Amino acid sequence: MKAERFALLFVIVLVIGVPLVAVLARSTSDTIEMHAQMADNGGWTPSNLTTQVGQPLHLRLTSDDVVHGFAVGQSIIPPVDVLPGQWTTTTLVFDQPGKYTFYCTRWCGPNHWRMRGTIEVTGTTSETITTTPPLYVTLNLDLDAPHPSEVVPDEKPSAIRGAALSVKRDRAAELDRTQSPAQLWQALKAAPETAALTDQQIWDLIAWTYRSRTTPERLAEGRQLYQQNCAACHGETGQGDGVIAPSLMKTPMPGMTMTGHETVAPINFMDAKNMLGASDAILEGKIIRGGMGTGMPYWGPIFTPAQIQALIDYLWTFQFGQ
Amino acid sequence: MMARSRLSPHWIVLGLLALAIVVVPNPIALAAPVEQHFRIEASAFQYTPEAIHVNPGDHVTLDLVSTDVVHGLYLDGYDLNVTADPGQTATLFFTADRAGSFRFRCSVTCGALHPFMIGKLNVGSNDLFWRAIGLGALAVVAGVWVMRPKGDRQ
Repeated sequence: MKAERFALLFVIVLVIGVPLVAVLARSTSDTIEMHAQMADNGGWTPSNLTTQVGQPLHLRLTSDDVVHGFAVGQSIIPPVDVLPGQWTTTTLVFDQPGKYTFYCTRWCGPNHWRMRGTIEVTGTTSETITTTPPLYVTLNLDLDAPHPSEVVPDEKPSAIRGAALSVKRDRAAELDRTQSPAQLWQALKAAPETAALTDQQIWDLIAWTYRSRTTPERLAEGRQLYQQNCAACHGETGQGDGVIAPSLMKTPMPGMTMTGHETVAPINFMDAKNMLGASDAILEGKIIRGGMGTGMPYWGPIFTPAQIQALIDYLWTFQFGQ
Repeated sequence: MMARSRLSPHWIVLGLLALAIVVVPNPIALAAPVEQHFRIEASAFQYTPEAIHVNPGDHVTLDLVSTDVVHGLYLDGYDLNVTADPGQTATLFFTADRAGSFRFRCSVTCGALHPFMIGKLNVGSNDLFWRAIGLGALAVVAGVWVMRPKGDRQ
């Protein structure tokens, strides 16, 4: 009889105690478990996090399908890979309040870039950061307007040939970020110092200008950003023929109008007519704001201004050779 | 009646033919090694092309192009591994110094049917198989010759 009572007590303690311990352990642990799935299947779970300035955010990440990556936009926190069947831990500390975007860093399908979430960081900080709006906002540029170049070079402009020209090498050292290469070409064509140059020589001079305002390190950074984030659609050689491109090129049925939900073929950066008519400000705007109904992602909350400039410098190398 | 030789010339010819089939080197295998370049597209859940063929000694360059998610390629026998993100072609160089058939498989979990994402690398022709076929054919010919009707015998 005594043994029976003891057994009953044992079972009751077991039934109540085990779940209680599990619940307590979960409530006291401040580690957040996050699951990653392709954007089509739900993306990040949870996708909205909150924390406070200076308070570390511990994350435990795993993938439910394919290889993903985790990174926080505009921050120096190193990205981590999120692999199926494995747990990755990372700790985030923010020293500035604001709304941060975290995103997937490994291409996981055509909708990879939609795999994003936010981290709301509250609190106060002593230092105030003033941000200047990008050039396309202050200039009120229409990013969707076509910008064909009226003039195109016969062959790919070469910075080496441009550097060899003796004419006024310092003239173009300071580039106007609102000016397109085509406008610069027109200006140089009209200028008396460069009037003696042939059309192609003026292009070479412009190529040298664009090449000499950047550094090899910045080009390398731009190249890396391009390969990781852009090449899947725009192609490794910039011709708009990336591996995802075929799934984006859906020709609209005759008689149908664009509703803004379609995707279009990625831009070919080797196309001189289109590229040479664009200014730094337009390229920057398109990267920050995205394509708005073309399938082009918006990178504003992901890249820092320096990263965007490195990317733009790299984009110009598709037009201006060494 | 003349004593029949134990080893008729026919049997000697047959034996020499069989020996030739077994030991004559494969002319393809003696070809000088060349540079081989392949582009393999990896998508869920297949490789295109799924089988590639090289000769022993060839210097092989494999470009792995992933068209949807991150895929990998692990080559059995050679113990080589490479992974490719979409938009970032990965390249593998190796010298095909081991003859035979080797599987390559996806080395990055890429979805539900990931374990079935396999392909094949053939290095050299399958000599053993073709020599066996040759010996078999020779045996059939010899059998038919031995069992030919009596009247035909000289």
